[in-house]
Amino acid sequence: MNQSRSVKLRRWGGAAWVAAGAIIASTIVIAMADGEKTAKPKAPTGAELYAINCNRCHPERYPTEWTAAQWKTLMIHMRVRANIPATQAKKILKYLQEESGN
Amino acid sequence: MRNYFQVSSVWTIGCMMGLVLTSHALAVSDEDFNTLKDQVSKQGGRIDQVEKTQAVATNTAAKSEVSVVQPVYPASALGSSASHNFMMVGDAEVQFGKVEGQSSGFTFADFAPIFLYRASDSVLFEAGFDIGLQNGSTTLLNGQTHDSSSQTTIDLSFAQLDYLLNDYATIVAGYMLLPLGTYTERGAGWLNKIPDDPLPRALLQDSGIGVQIRGSIPLDDSGQVFTYAVYGVNGPSSVDGSGNSTTLDAGSNSIPNLDLGGNVGIKSDSTTANLHSSPSGGGRLGWFLPWKAHYDLELGVSGQSGAWDDAGKRLWSAGVLDAALHLSPYFEAKGECINTWQETDDIGTIRPRGFWIQASYKLAALDMDLPIVNDVELVSRYDRTDDDMGTRTHRCTMGYVYYLSNTLLFEGDYESIGSDDPSQAHNDFVLQFSYGF
Repeated sequence: MNQSRSVKLRRWGGAAWVAAGAIIASTIVIAMADGEKTAKPKAPTGAELYAINCNRCHPERYPTEWTAAQWKTLMIHMRVRANIPATQAKKILKYLQEESGN
Repeated sequence: MRNYFQVSSVWTIGCMMGLVLTSHALAVSDEDFNTLKDQVSKQGGRIDQVEKTQAVATNTAAKSEVSVVQPVYPASALGSSASHNFMMVGDAEVQFGKVEGQSSGFTFADFAPIFLYRASDSVLFEAGFDIGLQNGSTTLLNGQTHDSSSQTTIDLSFAQLDYLLNDYATIVAGYMLLPLGTYTERGAGWLNKIPDDPLPRALLQDSGIGVQIRGSIPLDDSGQVFTYAVYGVNGPSSVDGSGNSTTLDAGSNSIPNLDLGGNVGIKSDSTTANLHSSPSGGGRLGWFLPWKAHYDLELGVSGQSGAWDDAGKRLWSAGVLDAALHLSPYFEAKGECINTWQETDDIGTIRPRGFWIQASYKLAALDMDLPIVNDVELVSRYDRTDDDMGTRTHRCTMGYVYYLSNTLLFEGDYESIGSDDPSQAHNDFVLQFSYGF
């Protein structure tokens, strides 16, 4: 009787360990999946790239300080001086020209 | 009789109807008259407006017809971003200083414009000048000289043509700021949080005439970037032409023989040539890692090597490690470690070297809601240089930047300099207004 009870307990204990392992494993898998979703960086917007690149050396200028044509000139100057990648420079320029108001 | 009554009745009824209708008609015209008058007046106004609009439209149509008929040059498809554009940016500074053992005074008035001319979407010409004032001097009867009047100095800092070859490479040609570290390219007056340049920057060539290819390659979508620059320039030169470490000036004073600011391709006799047989080559590799706005790390390694004496037998080489860190919009730390190697005829290879490190903190981070305090940034720097000929100098600087606006800064700092050379050791303070435009 005691032996069969012991066997039952072992079985239930094993099942409990398996269940606990499954729960932990599934939790890790879900967490990793969520982690992958959240860890994948979202491409920065033009405004964010402006803040990232320009603040490295100087306080940000207000977009309204220059016209759209002047921002285009300045963007080439800064692209060369600060080695800003072309794709980022284009997004920053689009943001500045849209916000320049002219 | 019957007819009379009939006629009289009809006449009477007619008169009564006439009276009634007349009185009614009079009452209606009184009410409507003003309304009709207003309506007529408004209609008149509208007609005038329509006529004016029509006139403008007619003129515009006429002009359009003219432009269609005579298209001298096709309109730019770039809209407000004209294909050509000329503009000026730059900075200006005014200083007040006191050096230990000397009288205090307004010491500096500097205007440093940068002219930018965009010739197309991929071509930009840029030139930077540094215009300042300096005392002149007069030679007196006894042969001595004394400061007298003033003279304006105009220095060409750089004049270069940029051609955007593609998304990953730009060709730069002309008189260029050299990417040895990052300080020179990012060292305009209003960008420096401390008015003076770090001491070991004097060991490097700031600019040179030549050609450069530079660019950047994005490493992912988050903004992480690998940057590069490769260049060839005329390189440094020798004051007396020899490979000796020092030479004597007109006053028999011993001065370093290495000239890091000359050799621009046109000699003093107006002939064109490099002062030695071969140009110098150099470059920089950089890695920029932002993890969000205002949080980033930048690391770089750069160097240059080439002959410096007229015979072209002695090399001058430099290696620079640079780093910059931003943690939040309020904290910044940056610095450079500089090593140079100069081969000489008389004392072998010497190794002038140094480093500087600077940290700054904006008090706005404390969120004390105090207008003046919130606009203050505290800054400190330690820099050190060793000429490898017996003189080591170090300096500790403490200061502040008060932001009157995003481009108008009021800076102040106190500097303590210690050196093996007693003539260099002193303390001083500097106040400076800096304006970036």
